Amino acid sequence: MPVNMEPRVWPGEIPLTSLYTAGTGGQIFFHALKTQGKLIATRCQPCEQVYLPSRSFCERCFAELKKQVEVKRTGRLVSYTFCYVDLDGAPLRRPVALGLVQLEGATTLLLHYLMDMNGPTEVKIGCRVETVIKPKGKRIGSILDIEGFRVVS
Amino acid sequence: MKSQPQPNLVRGTPLDEKALRRGKTFSVTYAPKLRYAWDTGQAISRYLAELKKGRLIARACRKCERVMIPPRMFCERCFRPTDEWVYVKDTGRIFTFSLCYVSWDVRRLKQPEIPAVIEIDGASPGMGILHVVKRIAPGKVRVGMPVRAVWKPKPKRIGSVTDIAYWEPIKKFAARR
Repeated sequence: MPVNMEPRVWPGEIPLTSLYTAGTGGQIFFHALKTQGKLIATRCQPCEQVYLPSRSFCERCFAELKKQVEVKRTGRLVSYTFCYVDLDGAPLRRPVALGLVQLEGATTLLLHYLMDMNGPTEVKIGCRVETVIKPKGKRIGSILDIEGFRVVS
Repeated sequence: MKSQPQPNLVRGTPLDEKALRRGKTFSVTYAPKLRYAWDTGQAISRYLAELKKGRLIARACRKCERVMIPPRMFCERCFRPTDEWVYVKDTGRIFTFSLCYVSWDVRRLKQPEIPAVIEIDGASPGMGILHVVKRIAPGKVRVGMPVRAVWKPKPKRIGSVTDIAYWEPIKKFAARR
């Protein structure tokens, strides 16, 4: 390398923001969640599927889904994971627990936080959980209007 | 002649900004962190370091006798490494230019920006850098017009092509016309 040369890099950044709308199907779910604290799914009768969150068409037969049903806040833990690092790979002070839950009345699974968890020994696949929904004044029509799932004994 | 079949229009649900602002339509926003760093390599590293000092440097190939700016460590014509560093002048001629009435983020501009390739004095014909010309009426810009670099003050230079603020016409030439 010639004298008085320093290795260097040229930094840059691509400014990019996106906005996802819930769509006509998701709109039903978020509206009911925000205003009533209810969990609304859509049912496909021929396929025997109950989609939560609600969606506008059946993923199996592509039929338009018009039949809305409310599912229960309680359900069964299908799978879970504990995260020890954040999105950037930095260690988390407290691990974050995520649970995949089938709520009673739904045939699909919902992914959300598992609340009040300190470690994997505190939870078992198949255990019963309930959905914790934020108080009405704090709900904005987001999936985070649900605080998470809490294991019930 | 048969009539053309009409395209199948997909019926959607129109949305406007107002509906989103009022919060009637639920949405989430997401901004990924898209930061990057280019390795500038040997040639461009030196080039940028010299710009910070207020100088333009090129690389010469002895075989094809070309002086290349921006500098490169490899001669793409001879398929061999280039041989030496050569300082070139901070004057040149407009090789090609454009009058640009939109900004990079597509806003209309009343006064056009004048991006131009400046053929650098001391480098081989056609060797130049893309930059911007100022201090001239847009209608007066011509190919071949001699220009000089206007440097930023030393404390403001960071080792970038923008350490040259812009290029301005050399007045003597303007007076002669």
